[in-house]
Amino acid sequence: MRIVVCAKEVLDPDAVNNYALSGGLAIGDDGRTITSSAIPRLMNAYDEQAIEAALRIKEAGADHTVTVVSAGPDPAAILKHAVALGADEIVSIPIEDAGIDYHVVANLLAAYVRSSEGAGLILCGRQASDDDQGVVPALIAESLDMPLISIARAVALSAGGTVRVTRVTPDGNEIVEADCPAVVTISNEFGEPRYPTASMTIRARRTPATVVTMSDLGDVDLAARVTLVEQSVPIVQGNCEVIDGESPSVIARDLVRRLHEDGILS
Amino acid sequence: MTGPVVVCTWAGEGEAAELLTLGRTVSEALGTDLVWLVIGVTADDAAETAKRYGATSIDQIDNNRVAASEPDATVEALSQNCSKRSPRMLLFSQTFNVRLIAPRLGGRLGSPVVMNATGIDAESGKLLRVTASAYGGDTQVVYEIQGDAMPIAALMPSAVEPQKSTAQTSPAVDVFEPDLSGVEERIRVLEPAHAEGPRLEDAQTIVAGGRGLGSPENFRLVEELAEALGGMPAASRPIVDDGWTDPSRQVGLTGKIARPALYIAAGISGASQHMAGCAASKTIVAINSDPDAAIFRYARYGIVGDCLELLPELTRAVQER
Ligand SMILES: Cc1cc2nc3c(=O)[nH]c(=O)nc-3n(C[C@H](O)[C@H](O)[C@H](O)COP(=O)(O)OP(=O)(O)OC[C@H]3O[C@@H](n4cnc5c(N)ncnc54)[C@H](O)[C@@H]3O)c2cc1C
Repeated sequence: MRIVVCAKEVLDPDAVNNYALSGGLAIGDDGRTITSSAIPRLMNAYDEQAIEAALRIKEAGADHTVTVVSAGPDPAAILKHAVALGADEIVSIPIEDAGIDYHVVANLLAAYVRSSEGAGLILCGRQASDDDQGVVPALIAESLDMPLISIARAVALSAGGTVRVTRVTPDGNEIVEADCPAVVTISNEFGEPRYPTASMTIRARRTPATVVTMSDLGDVDLAARVTLVEQSVPIVQGNCEVIDGESPSVIARDLVRRLHEDGILS
Repeated sequence: MTGPVVVCTWAGEGEAAELLTLGRTVSEALGTDLVWLVIGVTADDAAETAKRYGATSIDQIDNNRVAASEPDATVEALSQNCSKRSPRMLLFSQTFNVRLIAPRLGGRLGSPVVMNATGIDAESGKLLRVTASAYGGDTQVVYEIQGDAMPIAALMPSAVEPQKSTAQTSPAVDVFEPDLSGVEERIRVLEPAHAEGPRLEDAQTIVAGGRGLGSPENFRLVEELAEALGGMPAASRPIVDDGWTDPSRQVGLTGKIARPALYIAAGISGASQHMAGCAASKTIVAINSDPDAAIFRYARYGIVGDCLELLPELTRAVQER
C-alpha cells in the first residue's frame, strides 16, 4: 500500500516561545510575519511523528511504501530529513508565499494525491505548531472523500485493508477502524520519532525530491478562503503577589491562610 | 436580508453563554438574526438562556446518529441544516469533537474555517476578521475572510466574557430532522473510551507538576497535595511524554482544558502551550525556583522556591486546618 505523509516546515516553537517571553519576538513591517532570523526552521514535530507512524506500519510487514510530501516556499531541508528517517520517496510542491492560506495548501496536497498514484493511507500531524489550526487533514479527507480519524496514539493496518486506530479522547483511549483509503492524524502520545542514522543521512543527501508543479496537479482551487493580515504578541497582565517567609512551612501556612480568606478554600 | 448567524453547541457541552454572546455581537453588527442550533436534547432552561442572550430562534437536532461516534452523520446533518438556514456565519465552541467536525464541514461546504478563535470583528459592508491564537498562544493572529462561502469559526473556551442581551427575544424551538438515510458511517467504534473517574475538565481544584519536580518519584508530592485539597493531580507535557504520569493528566493546548477555581502549578515554567489549558482558572498559584518564570505572570500568588520542599509543607498546612 502507498502511504503518503504530509509534512510542513515551521519555526521552532520553543525558540518562538523564548523570544515571545523575553519580549524580543520581531514582527516584520508587513505586521504579520515573524522575522527573528535566529529562529531555526524545522519539520513540524507532529508530522515527524506521522512519518514515524508510517515507518512502523511499513516495518510491521507487507509491502508498503512511504511518500512524504510538503508544500511550502522551501521544503528541501525537511524532505531530506524525511529520507534520513526512512521515507522511500519525497515530493516537493514549491509555493512562493510563506503565509499562504492553509485551505489552498490542503487543495494542493489533495490534488497531488489525486494526480499521483493515489494513497491507501494519508498520515498527517494533528496540527502544525505554528498556526495550530489542524484543519488541513480534514480538508484533504473531504476533498478526496476519505474518512478522517483524528488524534491517534497508535495505528495499524490489517491485511484486509482496514486501518485500526487508538485515539486519545478526553474520556480516554478509543479504538476505531475504517476501510482504506483513509486519513489519520497523529498526536504526540504516539511517542518519540527515531533519530536518523549516519548512513541514512548520507542517503538523504543523494536522494532528490520529485518537484511537482501546478501544471502537474491539474485543476486546483487556488482561491484564498482566509488571509493572514496581522500577527502580534499578546500582553499578559500580571498581578502576582509573591509570598515570602523564613521557611517553607511558614510560607505554606501563609498561602493556605490567604486562600481561605479569599474563599477559595473552605 | 442576509442569512442568520448560527451558533452551534452540543447539549450539556461547550460554553453556550460565551458563544451566544459572540454570536450576538456579530449578528447585531451585520443586522441579522441569531439562531442557536442545539444538538441533543435541549435542557429545560435552554429557551430561557436563548432569551437572555438574544437568540431569535432555537434549532434542535435530536437524532441519536448525530453523535461523536458518527462523524459522517454529524457532518451531513449540519450540512443539511446549513442548506436550510443559509447562515451568514457558523460558530462553534471548540471541543475535542468540534476540532474534527468543524473543518470537515468546512471542506464539505467550501467554507473558510478558523479554529482557536478568540474574537470576531464584524462590520457591515466589510470583510469579517477573525482573531485566533497561534504558536500555542505565543502570538495572536488576525485572519480576513475571503470569498462568498459561509465562514466557520470555533471559539476557544473562556475567550469571551458572557454578556446578557439588553433586548429580550422570545425564541421558538424548531426541531430539525436531518435525512441521514444515505449516510453509511465509515468509522466503526470497536472500543469506546470510558472515562475513568472524574475528569480534569470538571475539577474545582487541580495541583499540577512539571519538569521542575526533578524525577518521576516526586510526582507523588503533587498527588498528595491534590488529595489533601480534595482535588486532582495534573501535569505538563514533558513529564507525561517521559511517562511520569498518565496522558489523561496532561493540561494544555494538546491536553485537557481545565478551568478550576484553584490551579497550583509546581515546577512548571508557564509556556503558552501549557497555559492554553489552565489560563482560565480563577486563581493560579505558582511555585517555581526561577523568579523570572513566565508562570508568575498568570499567577495570583507566587512562591519563589523549591517545589520539593514546598509541596509537602503545603500538604501539611492543608491537613492542619
Ligand atoms: C505544538 C506544541 C504543543 C504543546 N502542547 C503542550 C501541552 O498541551 N501541555 C504542556 O504542558 N506543554 C505543551 N507543550 C510544551 C510546552 O511548550 C513546554 O515545553 C512545556 O509546557 C514545559 O513543561 P514544564 O514547564 O514542565 O518544563 P520546563 O519548561 O522545563 O520548566 C520547568 C520549570 O521548573 C522550574 N524548576 C526547576 N526546578 C525546580 C524546583 N526544584 N522547584 C521549583 N521549580 C523548579 C524551572 O525554573 C522551570 O521554570 C507543547 C509544545 C508544542 C510545540
